[in-house]
Amino acid sequence: MAVATIAAAPTAIAGGTEADTRRYTAGATQIIMGLVMLLGFGLGTRTAHGASTTFGMTLVSKQGTHVPDWVFPARPVIVALAVVVVLLGAARLAVQLPRRWRLIGTSVVLFCFTFAFMAWSAADPKGGERLILPSVLDSMVIAAVPLVLGALGGVVGERSGVVNVAIEGQLLFGGFMTALVGTATHSLWIGVIAGVLAGALMGLLLAVLAIRYLIEQVVLGVVLNLLALGVTGFLFKSLMQTNQNSYNNLTPFTTVRIPGLASIWVIGPVAFDQPLIVYIAVFLVMLVHLGLFHTRWGLRTRAVGEHPAAADTVGVKVLRLRYRNVMLGGAFAGLGGAWLVGNVGNFTENMTNGKGFIALAAVIFGRWSPFGALAAAALFGFTDALASQTSSLQLPIPSDLLTTLPYVATLFAVAGLIGRVRAPAADGKPYIKG
Amino acid sequence: MRTTNMTRIAATAAVVALAAAGCGSKSTPAASSSTSSTGSTSSTSSSSSSSGSASNANFLACMVTDTGGIDDRSFNASAWKGMQDAQSDGKATVKYLQSTTENDYVPNITQLEGQNCKLIVTVGGLMADATDSQAAAKPGQNFAIVDNSSADTKTNKPIPNVHGLEFNTAQGAFLAGYLAAASSKSGVVATWGGQNIPPVTIYMDGFWEGVQYYNTAKSKSVKVLGWDETNPGSGTFANSFTDTNKGKSITDGFINQGADIIFPVAGGAGRGATASAKAGKAKVIWVDTDGCVSDNEDCSVFLASVTKGIETSVKKIVEDAAAGNYKGGTQDVLDLSNGGTDLVYGQQLGSSIPSALQSEITALKAQITSGAIKIKSPSQPK
Repeated sequence: MAVATIAAAPTAIAGGTEADTRRYTAGATQIIMGLVMLLGFGLGTRTAHGASTTFGMTLVSKQGTHVPDWVFPARPVIVALAVVVVLLGAARLAVQLPRRWRLIGTSVVLFCFTFAFMAWSAADPKGGERLILPSVLDSMVIAAVPLVLGALGGVVGERSGVVNVAIEGQLLFGGFMTALVGTATHSLWIGVIAGVLAGALMGLLLAVLAIRYLIEQVVLGVVLNLLALGVTGFLFKSLMQTNQNSYNNLTPFTTVRIPGLASIWVIGPVAFDQPLIVYIAVFLVMLVHLGLFHTRWGLRTRAVGEHPAAADTVGVKVLRLRYRNVMLGGAFAGLGGAWLVGNVGNFTENMTNGKGFIALAAVIFGRWSPFGALAAAALFGFTDALASQTSSLQLPIPSDLLTTLPYVATLFAVAGLIGRVRAPAADGKPYIKG
Repeated sequence: MRTTNMTRIAATAAVVALAAAGCGSKSTPAASSSTSSTGSTSSTSSSSSSSGSASNANFLACMVTDTGGIDDRSFNASAWKGMQDAQSDGKATVKYLQSTTENDYVPNITQLEGQNCKLIVTVGGLMADATDSQAAAKPGQNFAIVDNSSADTKTNKPIPNVHGLEFNTAQGAFLAGYLAAASSKSGVVATWGGQNIPPVTIYMDGFWEGVQYYNTAKSKSVKVLGWDETNPGSGTFANSFTDTNKGKSITDGFINQGADIIFPVAGGAGRGATASAKAGKAKVIWVDTDGCVSDNEDCSVFLASVTKGIETSVKKIVEDAAAGNYKGGTQDVLDLSNGGTDLVYGQQLGSSIPSALQSEITALKAQITSGAIKIKSPSQPK
């Protein structure tokens, strides 16, 4: 990346415009990626001696038909992909392509790079190592759910002008209440409802302190996260840890198999044999998208987030709308917390482990849009799953480095595909009438 | 007006939050009576035991916990249980201070020094620096440290008023690896850790070696996923000891790769493995404590547990010191031969382990103790 920038810089000064600079940088980066693929993956020792790549295609953990392994010669495939990437990079460097083609080109490059990495990691002359593709995808779905729900919580709040840094705390408190109420009532689903309400309550606290008392919203969010961590940690130790069976022991979610669709080749068990909340999360993404961009509520929300004074003059109740949206956002995050608990069947101190902050990043990388947040969460979930599942394949990459993959990939995707983002104009700014 | 009001409320909110954050594990000087929610406390409080008959009940032994606190269901809880056992034997009076952060180690030790503690037990290798510097500064005060040697962390010379307790858990894990390899129907077993650090990888090394030993002895080729002692930079880690969802996803991944015995070395995050195993596709071998005792509701998936004998060894050093046999400047390396580690079978699944295999494991235990089998893990105590 840095090399590319330096190489491109002198030409950019000579050539002039910013578009040229971007073109050179992008083209050079893509060529470098192609060379990494060629020299590191394609011609490295791992793919030597006619090694073949084995992708497992059956998800053992779910019911379904056995799909035969996908085996192909590693070196020729990776080299071919590398050549494609180098050519695309050269094309990008040489001509100023229209935006649509640029995006397609970048997407193809990222896909080829990812595929080459997977093919390389699962390459083995003896044919012993395998990467199970549907397992990576299944892991991605499971990891993306709390991120996308948390991010939705951020989107509805920030679209109406209130920054929500407290997603982490809402996830945690929602999860805690799910475990507590769910165990007490012997019903996971009553627990889930309690988790959603707990998230909304955290949202209300954020709204009151941010809207009524005008506290700086980022600082407030951080404080609320500490509050949630402290309170749930204290109650976990004093209540749950000593008596798991009465306060913290749930039967985890079971999967809901959609007949027909779940039998689709490879994708079926991943997409259509999941717990109910996975479907609910996808449904909520669509619902919030429709709501934000096709309803009166959405128009008002966006108006309040961009220019609250103008919205006020045409009769929109700015503060009331903000209260509602921040609570709604908290409820989404609370559902995310309920998922974290329902997925494993119990609550653990600090079990969110920073997922709320990744969700916050997904809000921004997703350009404050529901589908953007979904894509960002899926990208993060995918690279996280890939890093953890390739870690057992004896790669010559230290495991500590491999675990940074999700963050590095997110940086590349943002730089290559997203570029500049713009927050709602009134995001984080309290509205004081008059 | 508006601003001051706002500031005041912000400050109040912050204080409330921080206070609440702290009360989860604030370093409170607590006598044993006020706490002990471990559920396993048969011992008496400090006040009542002082009326005990034994002459040494006025031997005051004090403990500083690591950040996990005495309810962590892990090494702090075990160490505190050992202290309490010494008290209920009438050999000592015990108390503890809890560390909320690593910055509490030194102040907590200093506070106990001022309370006439005859022996200060510090728990966990992370406390080594604090213990060593305090011991050097106060030569008349006796210390014991769990999970570290008596050697100074900087100069590597033994400190005369520090008694070290070290555990060679690689030996217990070796037996677990052998058991896993022999019990696997798919020929694939897996292990993963919380972080790539020696207290974790010592277990993974032992497990890996146990599987290799089985393969050589029986001419099999059982595969270990997630760790290879010969390639210690690689391996599968959750990078968390609390993220149960990550633990479940790692375990699901291993099950999809064919593994049917899982050995998670990740504290609370390991419960993600039990959640995954409950679907019926795999069994779990637990670490540090007997899973069927510490996590009874998941007992149905525990094939066995590799235990670490912190409880008995802490009890022993306290009682020895009370009897005047304090051995500063030395360390006890605890292993299979003296209860420092062991393999205990699951209360429910243990009966499914064939008796022939059980006697093979008993024989292995003897061979490890006698030195006939050498474990190579570089993380072992020297």
